[in-house]
Amino acid sequence: MALHLTLDGETHSIEIVQRRPVLRLKVDGRAYEIVGHDAGPTGSAIIGGETVAFARALVSDQRETCFVRLHGRTHEIRLIDPREETGAHDATRDEIHAPMPGAVISVHKAAGEAVARGETIVTIESMKLQTALTAPRDGHVLEVLKGAGEKFDKDELLARLAPEAEG
Amino acid sequence: MRKIQSALSTASAEFRRNEAHNRALVEAFREKQDKARHARPQRDLDRLAIQGKMRPRERVEKLLDPGTPFLELSSLAANMAYGGESPSASSIVGIGIVSGREVIVRADDSTVKGGAWYPLTTKKGVRALDIAIENRLPVVHLCDSAGGFLPLQSELFPDKYMGGRLFRNQSILSKMGVKQLSLVFGHCTAGGAYIPSLSDYNVIVRGTGAVFLGGPPLVRAATGEISTVEELGGADMHTTVSGTCDYAAANEDEAILIGREIVSNWDRPAKWAAQRDAPEPPAYDPTELYGILPDDVKKQFDMREIIARIVDGSRFHEYQPNYGTTLVCGYANIWGFKVGILANNGVLFNDSSLKGAHFIELCDQNNTPLVFLQNITGYMVGREYERRGISKDGAKMIMAQSCARVPKFTVMCNGSFGAGNYGMCGRAFDARLLFAWPNHQIGVMGGDQAANTLVEVKANQMRRAGEPLDQATLERVRAETLAAYQEQTSAYYSTSEVWDDGVIDPVDTRNALGVAISVSLNAPLGEKGYGVFRF
Amino acid sequence: MTNAPPAPLFRKVLVANRGEIAVRVMRTLREMSIDSLAIHHRVEARSAHVRFADEAREVHGETPVVAHLDADQIIAVARACGADAIHPGYGFLSENAGFARKAKAAGLVFIGPDADTIDLMGDKISARDFAAAHGVPVAPSVQAKGDIEAFISEAGGIGFPLLIKAAAGGGGKGMSIVRDASELRERARLASGEALRYFGDGRIYAETYVERPRHIEVQVLGDGAGNAIHLHERECSVQRRFQKIIEEAPAAPLPDRVRADICAAAVRLAAASRYRNAGTVEFILGADGRFFFLEMNTRLQVEHPVTEMICGLDLVRAQIEIAAGRALPFTQANIPQRGHAIECRICAEDPDNNFTPATGSIRLLRAPAGPHIRFENALDEGQKVTADFDPMLAKLVVWGENRGQAIERMAAALGELTLLGLRTNIDYLSRILRTQAFRAGAIHTGFVTEQAGALAPAPPDRAARDHALILAALGQRNFRESIEIVEDPYASMGGWRN
Repeated sequence: MALHLTLDGETHSIEIVQRRPVLRLKVDGRAYEIVGHDAGPTGSAIIGGETVAFARALVSDQRETCFVRLHGRTHEIRLIDPREETGAHDATRDEIHAPMPGAVISVHKAAGEAVARGETIVTIESMKLQTALTAPRDGHVLEVLKGAGEKFDKDELLARLAPEAEG
Repeated sequence: MRKIQSALSTASAEFRRNEAHNRALVEAFREKQDKARHARPQRDLDRLAIQGKMRPRERVEKLLDPGTPFLELSSLAANMAYGGESPSASSIVGIGIVSGREVIVRADDSTVKGGAWYPLTTKKGVRALDIAIENRLPVVHLCDSAGGFLPLQSELFPDKYMGGRLFRNQSILSKMGVKQLSLVFGHCTAGGAYIPSLSDYNVIVRGTGAVFLGGPPLVRAATGEISTVEELGGADMHTTVSGTCDYAAANEDEAILIGREIVSNWDRPAKWAAQRDAPEPPAYDPTELYGILPDDVKKQFDMREIIARIVDGSRFHEYQPNYGTTLVCGYANIWGFKVGILANNGVLFNDSSLKGAHFIELCDQNNTPLVFLQNITGYMVGREYERRGISKDGAKMIMAQSCARVPKFTVMCNGSFGAGNYGMCGRAFDARLLFAWPNHQIGVMGGDQAANTLVEVKANQMRRAGEPLDQATLERVRAETLAAYQEQTSAYYSTSEVWDDGVIDPVDTRNALGVAISVSLNAPLGEKGYGVFRF
Repeated sequence: MTNAPPAPLFRKVLVANRGEIAVRVMRTLREMSIDSLAIHHRVEARSAHVRFADEAREVHGETPVVAHLDADQIIAVARACGADAIHPGYGFLSENAGFARKAKAAGLVFIGPDADTIDLMGDKISARDFAAAHGVPVAPSVQAKGDIEAFISEAGGIGFPLLIKAAAGGGGKGMSIVRDASELRERARLASGEALRYFGDGRIYAETYVERPRHIEVQVLGDGAGNAIHLHERECSVQRRFQKIIEEAPAAPLPDRVRADICAAAVRLAAASRYRNAGTVEFILGADGRFFFLEMNTRLQVEHPVTEMICGLDLVRAQIEIAAGRALPFTQANIPQRGHAIECRICAEDPDNNFTPATGSIRLLRAPAGPHIRFENALDEGQKVTADFDPMLAKLVVWGENRGQAIERMAAALGELTLLGLRTNIDYLSRILRTQAFRAGAIHTGFVTEQAGALAPAPPDRAARDHALILAALGQRNFRESIEIVEDPYASMGGWRN
């Protein structure tokens, strides 16, 4: 399995070929030996016989991006999460089901409204316990199927997010 | 330790003749292996593609850590059985690295008759789990099988080492704390359902994965109930209702990623502290092995030349170099691991047997794993040797070898005939792994000896019956015996029957042993002790 | 006793600003033994200017910008803390006459011009009329006086191209170039609407638009009594979205006569307005050598360091001395000038995507160093860059014996500057410096648009790209772990298959 990265809109792959006695990696099929790599934000490494001084910063927001500065030029490289690459879109992340039977206390978001991950969409009461049901991801509410006071069973669909746009 | 001084002349006619012979053997082996691995009817591959499934070998490659080795075992299992219908016995078994951990992978090959289990599939699977037990090696099952191949059910179901043994071994592994993970890519039907169910961890692919004792047709026949695959054993049912499966994956890639993450949480077995040095490649080129192995099994060669092309730096400390010289014994390192090597340089005599027995005990005392390099025609026969007690001296070697608690590894470098097979840790003696080279031949005796022996027996019958010696009959007996032997003594027959853990290219021996020794250290050494040696 | 330091000119100065300019002002205050008082919003409590100050106070506001614009609150803080003067820096309240008046009324010295001067120069139309009245060339122009039809007809009379501007504006808002009579009506309507939205004042005017104009400005100092001097000109022609990104002093090639005329005009304006303290008179210069008054900035400019570099002086010190009632520190004749200075504005933005402001965090900062290099900043690693403030992160200023040497030094310093974690214009600035046109001094305010082709980043060569990819991968913990997790013999065997 190779690590995929994008730079300037193109996707590249890096494979580990061998780890010892020297690290050998393949970039898009081209082999490089890497010696004396510093793990820190700044340092140097011998890559394919060439000594390369570098500075880099990894930014892990929703996506992982590494800014690498070499020879006075900064490259912005996105590291693709292999999980994302599987194309596995978990549809259940779009649906909010009742964790237990109960009734809706209040509805906080209407269809079409934007929600941030963790924001409450409906508050329910069940077994004398109030529970906030929150958005599993950033997005827009597609529909809320129960109004305040309405009862529901365990696992019943209470709200749905609009499908994510690709990209 | 000193570097072995090779006496080989790579320019000699003999070397070149041997080299041509052995390269041709290896090429033939590679062809068979390639066919077993990849040649499949297009129809089966198309069906897989339509289902959105990967080929089993792709699954294995994606499971393994990139840039790490995979030692495939028994790649030619069943190559001479079932008319070739079950390549690699419809399964892939091998030792590899997942999330930095050594595991044994057992994958159903759904490109062959839907992954149905043939008798040799279960034999190979049971052997895989035996290896897991002996070496405390976690198992990853890649499940995609239609179940037992019903026409041959009597050969795969009822006996001790048949289907049930898989599940018995799974249970024992779990008890030992050796983890198992199943990734359910396809159906796990009937007995097959127990593979994921008896695994400590499992992942099932939505849409294609299913686990059930009986599929929809069987259920309908049994109870009249009409049901779908999803209802009976789909990913969502098993991960939300029955709890039979732990994780549902959207597709095979995700299942593999989840599986790799699961393995990354496993504790690593504490290997026992075998002597280890930094690894170093052999000083002599391993491809010269091709020029050393003779073009005829009867021709003698010096095993030190073989050792020099397998061990670290070609360095070897020879034990009792001037005594019992038909058995070469000594210490060397393979991939840094210290080992004691026993290699045949001729028939075993009394002195060589005693030397072997003593050396085995020394290695056992010193916690040094043993490597047997077999090229043995047997123990010496004849009045003189029997009077000296060749049987009891051979027995001492067998006793020492059987009871030694250090890991043992065997490579069939050439011939393996008669009781020599026993003394040199043949299949029955629990070598952790046993490999054979393509030139290997095995039998209770050589083909010529067997033919001669049977012709002699036949002639005696004729003499007793007072008949004249019928040369034509005798020649027929000789020819039939030789033909049967030629087939049944070959490495391919042996590996087809899973009498070994695979035929390997001689130049791969060093790596195969490196992997084998490394995993063997996961299992703690047992109590030292031997039976009664007959003196 | 003769060696005792002179008494400080002020006891304590509140610096009504933040970021690099606040730190820059405080540095001079410290040299002059004057205590500095910082103000900050809650969200910037730990920022560099707060740490640098001798004392700091929170100012409240819904957003940081609101807090920094709250004149009453800031004056109250100054009084409560015993400050005797306020330095406004640039931006925020620096050109707010009301603030200057309130400060004065509260007994505080406002380090800047009189409130009336700010008023005069703050309104583009009154400033323009004043300039014209004192012999400073202004572009022919027409002001809209309610009747839009009359405006359109008069404006057409000046001739095209025309530039329409907001009377109360700045920063390019409400600005529009009209090349043809047919588009005048629509453009006037849009500009007026935009001016109303941004400045609450829909008045607009039209003036001659100079093609390929250069932006030349003159640094002046006045004593408030009608004495004024200039500290040479600066060229700020390299702009994007009507905002300066590279400034230099002196101007790139400029005929001596034009230079002398521009500087004299600026001094004339400053003297006539009895300008006090530091100010900048901005002009546009056409290729024909004609120049027109643009506006006067009644404060310290962002790009003031280039003047400091060629004059070898500290403009903030001069500001404080003038504010304290001292005479001008120089006469026109003894102002030194040597070499050439360039400033690059380091901005959080994406030059390859229409200079869209970028946000993020500064993860790694390595400032360039060496002779004649100033890196004006108040940045910290870990600092968040939000849309709350201007996207300018820092200024890199260098000096060289001549323009060529200054360009080489700037190119080297930009290469050395490492500011990672979000998109910046650092590499873009490097590319500007490498263009033939910039090196030849063939610059004008449309430079970056004209040179868009030359300024687009070339794809990196394959080796550099592969190196970057490898280093990015190795910078990721997961990837490093996937290497380190494998032990021998497997680590040395690689991807062997039997």
